[in-house]
Order: sequence, then C-alpha cells, then structure tokens
Amino acid sequence: MSREQKQLLLEIMQYSFALVETNLYLDTHPYDERALKLHNSYSQKYNELLSLYEAKYGPLRYTQMSGCPWAYINDPWPWEIDFDVI
Amino acid sequence: MNYDYYDRNKGMQLAMAYVPFQRLNQVFDPKEALMNGTLFPELYMPYKRKGQDLDGGRYYE
Repeated sequence: MSREQKQLLLEIMQYSFALVETNLYLDTHPYDERALKLHNSYSQKYNELLSLYEAKYGPLRYTQMSGCPWAYINDPWPWEIDFDVI
Repeated sequence: MNYDYYDRNKGMQLAMAYVPFQRLNQVFDPKEALMNGTLFPELYMPYKRKGQDLDGGRYYE
C-alpha cells in the first residue's frame, strides 16, 4: 500500500473516531451548539476524505458502486495493513 | 452485619458511583484523539506507574 494511500486511510480513521466521540457526547448533550459545530466539521471532512479515497483507491464500503469486476474484495484488507510504518 | 467485609479504614463506602455532567471544553485533534482513545482530555487517564511522566495531549479547538 502506498504511503499516500495509507496516510489518507489513517486520516479517515481519525475523523471516524472523532465522530464516534462527538456522537456519544451529543447523545447526552443534544443542545450543545459548540459540540454540534465540531461534529459537523468532522463530518464534512470525513465525507470529503472518504470520497477522495474511494475515487482513487476503490470502495471502502460495500454500499459503494463498483466497476466490473466487483472491486470491494480487492486488497489490502485492514488486517494486512501495517500502520506502524507510515 | 458483614462489618469486616471490606477494609473499612479507607473511609469509603463499598460502592458509591457518581458521574458529573460533562461540559465540552477543549478537545484533542483527531490524530491525537485516536491515539489517546478519547477526544476529551478530561477523559484521558492512561494507567502509569508512579514517576512515569504523564504526557498530556495538545489541546485543539
């Protein structure tokens, strides 16, 4: 996996995790506008990065469209990626 | 009953839990948050041996 692809994937994971956290916070603080602003900025960035990645490297989600053959099953799989070496 | 059931001289009840209502303050940036396992510095509590320096995260808002 190229360095650039791995870096992009890592960034997606970072924003994905941040969204889990803001989601949990907002579940108990639904009127917190600052948290909402934060959540929405992470969401926008997350969606941006995701479409960028999928356009370049293929679908990350089974819900995405694919050319033929079905690209979702191409390597690498998450357990094959060494994130210690970026 | 069960007077000596637990070590009383710690001056604590056996089980009394409380969770104060969190207020959003500063947050880690996403990179740090993933590494620290939380977005919230106030919840970043790694288990450290005594004397080991506690490297808190940089704040981001």
